[in-house]
Amino acid sequence: MKNFSRRSFLQSSSVGAAVVTFGGLAPSALQAAAEASKSGRILVVVELTGGNDGLNTVIPYADETYRKLRPKLSIPKNSVLRINDELGFHPSLRGFSELLEAGKLAVVQGVGYPDPNRSHFESMDIWQTCQRTTDVRNDGWLGRMLEEYSDSSGTDPAGIHLGTNKQPLSLLSRKLRFPSVRSLEQFRLQGIDKVQFRETVHDLADASRDNGNALLDFVQSSTSSAINASERLTATDAHYKSAVAYPENELAQQLQTVAKLISSGLQTSVYYVRLDGFDTHSKQPDAHQALLRQLGDSVNAFIADIDQMSMSDRVTVMAFSEFGRRVAENASEGTDHGTAGPMFLAGSLVKAGLIGKQPSLQNLEDGDLKHHTDFRQIYAAVIEDWFQCKSETILKGSFAPVKSFVTNS
Amino acid sequence: MNQILNNNIDPQWAWSEYKANDECPWNLRTAAHLYRRAGFGATHEEIVIAAGKEPLAEVDEIFAAKEPSSFANEMKSLADAAIASGNVRQLSAWWSYRMLHTPAQLLEKATLFWHGHFATSAEKVTQAKLMLTQNELLRSFSIGDFPELVMKVSHDPAMLLYLDSATNRKAHPNENFAREIMELFCLGEGNYTENDIRELARCFTGWEIRRDEFRFNPYQHDAGNKIIFGQTGEFSGEDGVKLVLEQKATPEFVVSKLIRFFVMDEPVADEALVAPLAKQFRNDGMRIEPILKRILKSNLFFSNYSIGRKVRSPVEFAIGLLRCLEGSTNTFALAEAMQTLGQGLMYPPSVKGWDGGRTWVNSSTLLGRSNLIRNLITNEKTRFGKQSLQDYFVGKELYSSRSIIDYMEGIAFAVPISDQAKDRIESLMKPDTPSSLVEGFHALCTLPEFQLG
Repeated sequence: MKNFSRRSFLQSSSVGAAVVTFGGLAPSALQAAAEASKSGRILVVVELTGGNDGLNTVIPYADETYRKLRPKLSIPKNSVLRINDELGFHPSLRGFSELLEAGKLAVVQGVGYPDPNRSHFESMDIWQTCQRTTDVRNDGWLGRMLEEYSDSSGTDPAGIHLGTNKQPLSLLSRKLRFPSVRSLEQFRLQGIDKVQFRETVHDLADASRDNGNALLDFVQSSTSSAINASERLTATDAHYKSAVAYPENELAQQLQTVAKLISSGLQTSVYYVRLDGFDTHSKQPDAHQALLRQLGDSVNAFIADIDQMSMSDRVTVMAFSEFGRRVAENASEGTDHGTAGPMFLAGSLVKAGLIGKQPSLQNLEDGDLKHHTDFRQIYAAVIEDWFQCKSETILKGSFAPVKSFVTNS
Repeated sequence: MNQILNNNIDPQWAWSEYKANDECPWNLRTAAHLYRRAGFGATHEEIVIAAGKEPLAEVDEIFAAKEPSSFANEMKSLADAAIASGNVRQLSAWWSYRMLHTPAQLLEKATLFWHGHFATSAEKVTQAKLMLTQNELLRSFSIGDFPELVMKVSHDPAMLLYLDSATNRKAHPNENFAREIMELFCLGEGNYTENDIRELARCFTGWEIRRDEFRFNPYQHDAGNKIIFGQTGEFSGEDGVKLVLEQKATPEFVVSKLIRFFVMDEPVADEALVAPLAKQFRNDGMRIEPILKRILKSNLFFSNYSIGRKVRSPVEFAIGLLRCLEGSTNTFALAEAMQTLGQGLMYPPSVKGWDGGRTWVNSSTLLGRSNLIRNLITNEKTRFGKQSLQDYFVGKELYSSRSIIDYMEGIAFAVPISDQAKDRIESLMKPDTPSSLVEGFHALCTLPEFQLG
């Protein structure tokens, strides 16, 4: 990477094509976006894939119904990490419990949406696009938000997905392309240190095709973004130093990569990571415990790292799952697909504590919790109060933001 | 997402038997297309032979191709070794090897389709033996009877373990398998109700996996009346599967997926385009071979609606490149690389399988694909017709950079390469040394055109 000239790279990319560089916006939109974004704020989304069992995450330990419906799975009163006289965290969520005590965690309870769908894929798509299956779904809420918000005067991607799995639908945009990054090392194109090779692949990826094949246009613009992003991201790795010890798991690794990218001054507004495995139909206790420990410890380490960089007023973490799980346990020491569940916001500027009400265990619908807060109300808070954008077109409807951030944030 | 419905393809024209014409000629390009879709790819020599025959007869030949017993025996002993290792990744390598070397490519391509359809991951089903059993089931029914395949899959230990249905008790029916058989295997979302799922789940109570085999436990079966799709009866699990198969949505759902996999990513076939095939599929007792033959013999398949209108999956990308150059390599490393690119054999990302199409592509996977090319051609384990890449091209009497580029375009590209791109790559390849061949070949296979199949 020694002889590398970013300048030559950027100069050789043609700005005229619809989607060429990172942001990929047309020039007029570039300007509008630059004006729209001043805060430099960052959202890190953690997707808890598979349907997190909210009731064993934020536990209504004082409620006898909880124990009755979960003879095998209920967490004993004396081992929960108390939040108040009714609720407590799962014992392996020490990371969250500490964040709450430090005033850096908000727990939004009973989040869901009307007429809930219990299919993983459908429900996840609903969370990601804010649209039902009968609607046309050709972009996601983060994609739409970044089209409005992102500060694309630079060349950094507005959003980055960490991981090798397919990109979340929420990041789908009709105008922007967002890279997926597994590790910084993997993001380095081999041979790119050789000038002639680099220039050849770069120019050939940039040249717009004009043969009426929309798939080819898509692949061309994606290849162009990839080669640009590769250069930028591999160059940032050198800057990062941290005294925080991250736990050894994949989520922590990914969050640390996010921390590295943030520390390098990348102008990216949204990072997206996943923690998979929450579909606990059978033998739930061990699996769920391990997942929650990963979640709590990794987010805790990440927030500590961000604090040390003095970036804490710029970064919020948001964790969600596509649904909670059935209140009553099943016969396989597991739980089936349910509905409402908690969401989490972490960072220095979140309104720490419990937000909203725990859904009643008595008043169920088909054996499932009734939601109190629509997930789009949290999104609205993120869009309006964190990113200072209008949420209505992004969310395809008007949703009252739930107070989730401290005033003037 | 991104469903561009198409309303201007005439179904009558689309599914009529292909006849070569000026717009859709039968030539090296269309023959290579047929091999890419009905398999993974073919060598220049194979394409030349195919183009000299009648296209429809060529399709029949592809369907009739059988694995010689020597090959089947070799596969069996390699599978045994993989099982003995206890490592499912060895099984992924084994399947990669099979795709790379089988003379019956369609069988593997169709098996891959069903692996994505009845997706089961060794991430959860950690026993190599059970994954192999399922893989063999999918292969033996890959162009067989769909209803029988569904029934067998419903009793398949790997599937039931994957969907947490290894125990299924009367008092607490597990809904997972009932949901997926409707949503993902037969009907598609929107063609059933939540209540249908709950009732169907009751039918499956008493189904168990014991000592790695399916067993029916009558003591745990809920023998009461169930109401599914408005029909009432004391349905068993098998009755439940049959009820699902009888739904009108089943042939439509399966045919749509076949069209998307074998013909085109986009546009998504609309109802009118699916209808004639769905009707035939239904009337034929949902036998897969006749419907797939009709698809691969159709005007639509040999038209520009299809050629170059699919994003290659990682398996199609890597196996395809190697097959058209008689390549062989370390298949363990290859299988791992394909997994990193998003398509781990035996490791689909979820029960929904791979979404395919545009979702294969993002910055990370594109850079990974490009790096895989360089790793493959510089790895000494990779041989082309048992030689180095350079010697292979010399053996084909390809002495100039331009002739290599043109040769590659003919066998490995579904979309033509512009002269300007050829010029640039030629100058990168120019000084005819092994290292400049690597640079040029790597740049060639990093072209966006190379991602389409």
